Amino acid sequence: MEKLEIQATDMTPYVKLDKENGEFVIAEKSLPENAIEFYRPVLEWLDEYSKNPNKDTIFQFKLEYYNTSTAKQFARIFLLLEKIHLEGKSNVEIHWYYSKDDMDMEHSGKRYEKLLKLPFKFFAY
Amino acid sequence: MENKLESAYRLFSLMNEDNLGYIYRGNFTDEITENILKLTEANLQHEESRNKIKKRIYSIMVEGLQNITRHQHADDVDIEKIEETFGIFVIQKIDDYYFITTGNVVDNVNIPPLKELLEKINSLSKDELKAFYKKVLTEGEMSDKGGAGLGLIDMARKSGNKLFYKFRKIDDTHSYFYLHTVPVVESTNIDEKKIYDTINNIINVHSLLNENSFLLIFNGEFSQESSVNLLGAIKGHITTSVSLKNKLFYVIVEMLQNIVKHGSKTEENSANPGIFVIGEDNKYFYILTGNFINKDESDTLLNKLRQINEYSIDELEIQYSKILFDFNIDDEKKTGLGFIDIRLKSQNKLAFSIKEYNDKLDFLLLGSKINKTHGE
Repeated sequence: MEKLEIQATDMTPYVKLDKENGEFVIAEKSLPENAIEFYRPVLEWLDEYSKNPNKDTIFQFKLEYYNTSTAKQFARIFLLLEKIHLEGKSNVEIHWYYSKDDMDMEHSGKRYEKLLKLPFKFFAY
Repeated sequence: MENKLESAYRLFSLMNEDNLGYIYRGNFTDEITENILKLTEANLQHEESRNKIKKRIYSIMVEGLQNITRHQHADDVDIEKIEETFGIFVIQKIDDYYFITTGNVVDNVNIPPLKELLEKINSLSKDELKAFYKKVLTEGEMSDKGGAGLGLIDMARKSGNKLFYKFRKIDDTHSYFYLHTVPVVESTNIDEKKIYDTINNIINVHSLLNENSFLLIFNGEFSQESSVNLLGAIKGHITTSVSLKNKLFYVIVEMLQNIVKHGSKTEENSANPGIFVIGEDNKYFYILTGNFINKDESDTLLNKLRQINEYSIDELEIQYSKILFDFNIDDEKKTGLGFIDIRLKSQNKLAFSIKEYNDKLDFLLLGSKINKTHGE
């Protein structure tokens, strides 16, 4: 499966989805006013991946900032991952990174954890 | 907070009248200067003016900003009105003209020599000015703070116009010095009376900023792109702890995007006209926005805002989670997630008010305040 890599801009994040090397990363800033458009290829890729995922899927969220428009798209990503996790197709783990000064970012991760049946690990940097 | 909303609306009226663009009031550091330059550069790129004009504006700004940095505090700082110690920078566009205004405190004793220098510069022809520049350059500095004379001559040369100025008395020993540069565009002449009207307008705006502790005002068209530039500049302007900076940034993003998403266009404007204000006092940061909305959306929006203000923090959390995973309301305009997020992050109620504009449009003012002692 071909990897998906998108370089970061001032408003959109760095994305790397690489099945072969087991790398799943969304990083930096995600502040597009309309996040649906930006996350469409990401969700399409994950949809395809979920048909035949790796045994383990460690998905890293290393965001500096993200907006509420992005928050909803993250919810979609999590639901897809939750599905393959609960179906036993892949052991999914979410690695949520946050700056130790950014309690809001930590809280946002914890909120998702509470709402999902997915294992989360938190890393302060 | 309601007073601040009223003031933001007055600012919008004062500025829109004159098409004022961008104001920063505060301490000027190299980083802030750099950010102002970057933001203006980005805005200038959209202008149809010729490159020569843009370059001129840019270099006049550099000189003007450096002048503020050098002279922002009068030699003895014992001014009772502490808010007056801040410098101010304004760039505005009226018709085809750009107006660049800088302001700082001066000691009254320094006014006569400064006036003399300004008058001398204004009396010289282009060639004389060039010669004067060389003379000052080789014979040394004119003031003990250095470079001021040279900077002023340079600004006059680049603007191709007189230097317009005004002193406003603060107390027996201090005044505020406004320097107003209007680069010549083409060969047309602009009425001097009009130029002095614009200085007086800036002085009015300035006193509004002082009264309300407003630091940064952006008046103009809001788009995804202008938000990016503005966000970059804001990050440089805010000097506070990292955690508070992050919190402010989240709230600012949502408020700016709210303008882009909900803002309506007026007949004269293609993008979303509006105003964005940041203020700061001892206790809070204030973020205020104002933009046009369609009249038929006003009631729904007001109800939503009232409801969000009534929720407790726990209820807001529940609402947030519910909307987060409800993809039936995927029309992002309708979710209200942004407002809830602002409430959650600021932990304070939103201030809002709607003004009648015409029979189609209303003007929505929104304000949020963030405690400075949060999470520290």
